[in-house]
Amino acid sequence: MYADERRRPRPRRGPLAGIRVADFCWMGVGSVATRLLADFGAEVIKIEDRTRIDTPRKLPLYKGESARNFGEEVVGADPDKGGLFNNYCRNKLGVTINMRSAEGRRLAERLIAASSVVTENFAPGVMERWGLSYERIRELRPDVIYARMSGYGHSGPHASYRSYGPVVQAVSGLSYISGLPGREPSGWGLSYMDNQAAFYNSAAILMAIRRRAMTGEGTEIDVSAVETGIGLLGPVLLDVTVNGRVTRGDGYPTGNRLEHPHAAPHGIYAALGEDRWVAIAVFNDAEWQRFADAIGRPQWTRDERFATQQSRWANQDALDEHVAAWTVRRDRYEVTKLLQDAGVRAGAVQNAEDLNEADPQLEHRGVFFEMDHPVIGEARFEGVPIRFGQTSPDNWRSGPLLGEDNEFVFRDLLGIGADEYAELASTGVI
Amino acid sequence: MAGQNSHPGPADSGVSQPPAPYSDLRVVELADDPAGEALGKLMATAGAEVIKVELPEGAASRHIGPTAAGAREGDPDASLNFWFYNVSKRSVVIDYRTADGMARLRDLLHGADVVITGWRPSDWAALGITPDDLRTDSPQLIVANLSPFGLDGPWADLVSSDLVGLALGGPLNSCGYDDHSIPPIRPGGEQGYQLTASFGHLGVLLALLEREQTGHGQLVDVGMHDCLSVSAELANPYWFYPRVLVHRQTCRHAQPTATQPALFPTADDRYVYFALITAEQKPWQSLVAWMESKRLAADLTDPAYDDPAYRLAHFAHIQQIVEVFFLLQPAGDVYREGQQRGLPIGVLNAPEDLLLDEHLSARGFFVPVDDDAPGGPHLYPGAPIRFSALAAAPVMRAPRLGEHTAEVLGGTA
Repeated sequence: MYADERRRPRPRRGPLAGIRVADFCWMGVGSVATRLLADFGAEVIKIEDRTRIDTPRKLPLYKGESARNFGEEVVGADPDKGGLFNNYCRNKLGVTINMRSAEGRRLAERLIAASSVVTENFAPGVMERWGLSYERIRELRPDVIYARMSGYGHSGPHASYRSYGPVVQAVSGLSYISGLPGREPSGWGLSYMDNQAAFYNSAAILMAIRRRAMTGEGTEIDVSAVETGIGLLGPVLLDVTVNGRVTRGDGYPTGNRLEHPHAAPHGIYAALGEDRWVAIAVFNDAEWQRFADAIGRPQWTRDERFATQQSRWANQDALDEHVAAWTVRRDRYEVTKLLQDAGVRAGAVQNAEDLNEADPQLEHRGVFFEMDHPVIGEARFEGVPIRFGQTSPDNWRSGPLLGEDNEFVFRDLLGIGADEYAELASTGVI
Repeated sequence: MAGQNSHPGPADSGVSQPPAPYSDLRVVELADDPAGEALGKLMATAGAEVIKVELPEGAASRHIGPTAAGAREGDPDASLNFWFYNVSKRSVVIDYRTADGMARLRDLLHGADVVITGWRPSDWAALGITPDDLRTDSPQLIVANLSPFGLDGPWADLVSSDLVGLALGGPLNSCGYDDHSIPPIRPGGEQGYQLTASFGHLGVLLALLEREQTGHGQLVDVGMHDCLSVSAELANPYWFYPRVLVHRQTCRHAQPTATQPALFPTADDRYVYFALITAEQKPWQSLVAWMESKRLAADLTDPAYDDPAYRLAHFAHIQQIVEVFFLLQPAGDVYREGQQRGLPIGVLNAPEDLLLDEHLSARGFFVPVDDDAPGGPHLYPGAPIRFSALAAAPVMRAPRLGEHTAEVLGGTA
């Protein structure tokens, strides 16, 4: 069944051991949400469709190959060599079911009946089209947790709107509140909300599992990514709803400067080298004094415009010129060390190479780890950045090959006989 | 009305109103930065009784603006910054820097499920306590410490902030403008702290589940730096696999090489986000049909454009026509009609626009809160997670400094 027996699923350990998840989630946001469950012991069975494979399998992040932007998919590429999928789907089992066939939908129902959590992040209506309403799923498994996440939630006039990270960030306001005054928003250079919506969804599932352990009752869960994003806007949202502030045309947002508190200097300053930067944040007079000492108290630090926190904040253009003239001749890590040694908040802007190859803190904390993969080979993973007194993640296997666990799940777990299994395979149901 | 959330136990008939998810939990919050405060908020808004323990001068967040209109200077009870992070909590003043105060705090922890702290190793040392220490008399207790770099390692005692955290942790490297003479720009809303809170929340939940099995709490040690280092989406995988770096671009994904702009200005001086992708047939046809319906498709109806290869070869031209198409319409119309035609377009809402959004109104997302500002009640964001079998906890105004001291400590003195 497994060419390499080390790939065979073994009992998992962790607080979620014994919980089986029929996982219809896909794309980044869905896969990240259920990854946490798999990391901590749940048996997450990812259900894929061979005719419509998960996008992270297709995004061209390939080991040993040259750089391609993520829109530049390679037609006919091996779905098992996608690095992003491996990163998102480690510790999960993988099966394939053609949900467009009646036999496929029957098979999915058998898997659901043998699971206690069902997850999905399709556009609203897709699961219903397959007959998988909450009511039906409850018939199959009365105490089921049916976790549904989508851009807009499962009710309301825009429920069927299409979204992914950048759209969620735009609609929720997170993009608008990010940028320099008087310019277009700079927004986000990543699908931040694919992460945050995923984490809220993971949390919702854990909350429901905890409640079920207490009461025996399951639940349906509706997580809206847009609503999650709005809840993350920060205090400016209350400035609007309580004080009636209008942020448009108001010199807002303020880039790297803060409206509150009146911290200054507070910015990202050019350091020595090409596109090298360092963050410096001074929040009060004591920190300012330490900052001035650390840089050797040049004449300009005695300028009366910079004498108090309030006056520094009011004269940030002039202040930032002086700070930048000091940083630009220095290495970003030298600035970091000099200021941190003086108790001043500062830090180099680090890229992925810096984090992975040279960051002593992440190395010490063991945030990244490696696992082998049959097609990709040894690969790095982003670990769970939570350290527990007792609990630890159970990293037992890299991401599943397409349909890798079909036989294990359908035959061993569901008890399907050899003949029927062969029929499912030959008719393209799995 | 924390009382109205008290949960029915297993013996309860269950016909009454269902409980909120955390109605059985008591949380003590000692953290004084937005990461710990945001974690406390996640738990309070899900129904936990969250007791925010403040020193006599009040939490630092009470002294950060903006303030409610009309408040007197320095009023600790009028900070909207404090209100944002501290809804639905209770405030108790204990000076735990004194021996007497520490004893009172320990009493309080005795009956708590979770304590949220936000201290570096040197901060713990200055207080003369350790996370284990807090658990000695309270083995059920989960100690969730959310600090800048976690509790060990060479950087554990460094100082940080949202900006510094996002810089060192990596997400900032992906955010900013196409023009790289402009530094990376921090996205708004203190997301470094809020992401740390999300991981803290997951850690607490896993520890609660573990406690169901073992009866014991444990330390949950969360470093903002660790959290941010795994939260730049594609940046690490691009390094793990093809070993390339991504470069920031204006309001769209950082990529190994430059891609077309995705932010389009509209007739009303607003913006929509739309990643123009010409490779797939169906969205292309939807877009052209939409443009044609406004008589703005120009030459894109030419059958030559049916061929994806031709479209790719003329991408710059297509992008120009689409720019004009959006520039001639208001953002709201572009958003709704584009979405109705199945295209994933997003309007860049400002915070004030959200209050007028028909979808959010229909879902009743914003909820009125009777806060201390004049002209209330005011609208606050509601719960982004909805459970069919569990109630949403009511959003309560943030507590005044020490508002619940007598009530809470009266029972433990």
